Amino acid sequence: MKQKSSRPISRRGFIQTSAAALGGFTLLPSGVLAQAGRPGANDRLIVAHIGVGGMGNVHLDNMLQFQREGKVRIAAVCDVDESRLRDAVKTAGAEVEPYRDYRYILQRKDIDAVLIATPDHWHGVQTVHACESGKHVYVEKPSSVTIEEGNAMIASARANQVSVQVGAQGRTGKGAWYTCRAIRNGIVGRVRRVDCWHYANPVDDNPVADCEPPGTFDWDMWLGPLPWRPYNPRYCPGVFRWFLESGGGQIRDRGAHQFSTILWCMNADQQTSFTVEAKGTSPLKGLWDCPVDMEVVYEFRNPDWTLVWGQPGNKVGKTEFGQTFIGDNGRLILEWEGAYRGAEPDAINFKLPQGGQEVYRTAEYEDFNMNHKADWFKSIREGSLRPAVDIEIAHRTATLCILGNISYILGRRLVWDGQNQRVVGDDQANRLLTRPQRYPYVL
Amino acid sequence: MKPTSSSTVISITSVAAAIATGAGPSAAAETETLLKRIRSRDDQVRCEAWQNAGTVGAPAVGPLAALLVDTDIEVARSAKRAMEKIVHRAGRPGAAAEASAVEAELIKLLKHESPVIRRAAVWMLSEIGSDESVEPISALLADAQVREDARCALQRIPGDKSVNALKTAMKAVPEEFTYAIADSLRKRGQNVPDYPTKKLAPTLSTQVKAAPAPNR
Repeated sequence: MKQKSSRPISRRGFIQTSAAALGGFTLLPSGVLAQAGRPGANDRLIVAHIGVGGMGNVHLDNMLQFQREGKVRIAAVCDVDESRLRDAVKTAGAEVEPYRDYRYILQRKDIDAVLIATPDHWHGVQTVHACESGKHVYVEKPSSVTIEEGNAMIASARANQVSVQVGAQGRTGKGAWYTCRAIRNGIVGRVRRVDCWHYANPVDDNPVADCEPPGTFDWDMWLGPLPWRPYNPRYCPGVFRWFLESGGGQIRDRGAHQFSTILWCMNADQQTSFTVEAKGTSPLKGLWDCPVDMEVVYEFRNPDWTLVWGQPGNKVGKTEFGQTFIGDNGRLILEWEGAYRGAEPDAINFKLPQGGQEVYRTAEYEDFNMNHKADWFKSIREGSLRPAVDIEIAHRTATLCILGNISYILGRRLVWDGQNQRVVGDDQANRLLTRPQRYPYVL
Repeated sequence: MKPTSSSTVISITSVAAAIATGAGPSAAAETETLLKRIRSRDDQVRCEAWQNAGTVGAPAVGPLAALLVDTDIEVARSAKRAMEKIVHRAGRPGAAAEASAVEAELIKLLKHESPVIRRAAVWMLSEIGSDESVEPISALLADAQVREDARCALQRIPGDKSVNALKTAMKAVPEEFTYAIADSLRKRGQNVPDYPTKKLAPTLSTQVKAAPAPNR
């Protein structure tokens, strides 16, 4: 067994252990570390941003707010697009170091944590590399694009004793929390089916030929782990979402939100085995290959329940996507993932029965993006290293999304053995649980 | 209608492919119909064609591969998706003979002059390739244009033969590529003491500068 006392304590380790011993940042005597009312420089997390487009900008804005509150200091920003990087430098302020190659950030001993908001095919590799470099990680959802990546992420987080929070905010969102405690405590009786609805994947109606990438954009680094191919404007930015190798479509994007909330409400994080059968309508043309419409049916056993990803599905709510919990005694709708949108009045007004099961949620900020990050910080400062959407939880969610797509690709029903992380009796499907990565962008 | 010269070539290829795979005249006709529809300018026709290509099977692999370098990007994409449908169907449980037939056709493509076709075949073989594929894929480790894809395929194909091929390659490939082979071997559970990973070594610099600190 490792002797903790014989190891030199790092600055990050000092923050973690001393804060835990003292009951967290907010209980530290302000005079010890800083001016009255504000934590001092020594207990701030030093953070860096990897990927500063799209959600990366939301994360940067959030961290600037935390910086103003004295909880973090932003040390670096990174992007493979120089124009985005230049914008991020302006936003982040003075002395924030810019990088094109995230590995420079991982080499810096002064940086405690990274926020990763790159295209999905990078999440697994960058998270593993960050963990191996001793950094805490906040990574966008979906956590991974293959099962192999998800398992490697869990292993590296545990081996390196860091916190990995995945950016599916439902489990720290107020709407999902109201819904979760109501469902778990029987508001609609035993739930036997959950139906998701979601609008379609877009179609590339105006395909264009491969061409040279823009001069300010590092195409090779953007591709990273993916097999090399010529640049095409239909890959990025943002639209990587619509090809199966990277974004995996709505089911892996919004599915990562909705399935996370649903598993939470159903108390089903331990139900790791299931069957999955997908069907979908392919786009008529274009680079994007995600199905336009899609229906994916998951069957769980002991307890028995069915989860249906419907695209478009049966839209019974008011907004773009959501889910319906169908129980023996009624139905309960939750719009979106229960963070961006609130709960139904029935769930909000639900009174916990005597002996009922309360559900924990970090509730430090009204803003759901800020609150989800506050939950991550909490897991670091208290030393649990298990945030609300810990990588192991997120991997279970991502597994649903990934296997839904594999079933669609292969055109057949799959039987998933969660214990062994294998598809039963299907060699080809098992090969698709991994996708060997282009060196050196490997797990 | 008098066929164009390109469709004549396809037609001959279809028949030859069908004969080569041991399939009969009906397979040749099916392949011919598939190819005609894949080359259609109608998006609906092309899409339906590739979606239903799976049952056409091995005889269509070679002729479809020829379309991967078609100048019409939608024809090329549809041909690739048709090939993938064939591979996905052939790889289903209980279809070993079908998988072997498709594998044999894909192996032939590994010697094609186009790296686009070689690369596509390598990745498809990574899904259904058996020991039979290992040696011809290993030969591509000397092919600078697709060697990285070949390494990935060998990493994915289960069994001792692919591991041994990677071990052999350690002594044969250029020094800079050895690190990648070593990584594949580690992924396959082998202990490789030399050639430590370069995955964490940064290489790319930016032209963007940090904003200066304000004057105090």
